[in-house]
Amino acid sequence: MDNEERADAGLDVSLENVGGFSLIHLAGEVDVYSAPKLRETIKGLVEDGNCNIVVDLERVAFLDSTGLGVLVGGLKRVKHLRGELGIICNQEKILRIFRITGLTKVFPIYRSREDLLANVKEA
Amino acid sequence: MPGKEGTVFELEMPAKAKYVGLARLMAASIARRMNFAEESIDDLKIAISEMCTNAIVHTGNGLAEKPPITVRYVEGDGFLNVEVRDQGPGFDPAILDKKREGILSKGFGIALIKSLVDEFECDSRVDGGTVASITKYLKPENGGA
Repeated sequence: MDNEERADAGLDVSLENVGGFSLIHLAGEVDVYSAPKLRETIKGLVEDGNCNIVVDLERVAFLDSTGLGVLVGGLKRVKHLRGELGIICNQEKILRIFRITGLTKVFPIYRSREDLLANVKEA
Repeated sequence: MPGKEGTVFELEMPAKAKYVGLARLMAASIARRMNFAEESIDDLKIAISEMCTNAIVHTGNGLAEKPPITVRYVEGDGFLNVEVRDQGPGFDPAILDKKREGILSKGFGIALIKSLVDEFECDSRVDGGTVASITKYLKPENGGA
């Protein structure tokens, strides 16, 4: 599906550095149309040497298996480099998807940005 | 795969990723009008997104000359049925029953569909296209029948 143009793709992506993590803020829908944007963002961060990544899903209105696949791909990529990829999410409808697929067992999940910061300080 | 009876809405769309959101939106609109609970509407949106994604991938990567996919919504008495039909190369449906190899392996889509809807059927033939269908029933707590 790389022959389609995706100028915006209904997904806003912004970056922030927080406590040694690259924090990816997402807003919008993550599906087969927009997921390549997230994949490229993660890939770019890793290529720049940022292997500790957290993806903020708090403003994500929709996530399907294509989005999960991109997150899993990112996780494998950073694990290979002894990094970590976690998520921030407190939305039940999104967390359900992680539970159904068993992915709550493999992703560190933070309830909020503050929760992430608290964990970083404790570590 | 016998069709279900009810009021039919049909969407024919190019096999392109950017139209998957439209198929979801239409399902959500019909389900909301039927008084499905918001959680059930979220379930339907994911299931339809998965079916359309599979159809687009199998139909041929969204290339312009590839045939469109058809999404058929049946608003029945106490249920919503959605069928996604592509004219792609098809596959052996037995693959759908295979268990995923490890938690990080591919294939979340079918597992999600099966978990989120009441019925899931898929009829596919090599070189004969694929028809995937889901049904979600209104439950009393949904405010329905």
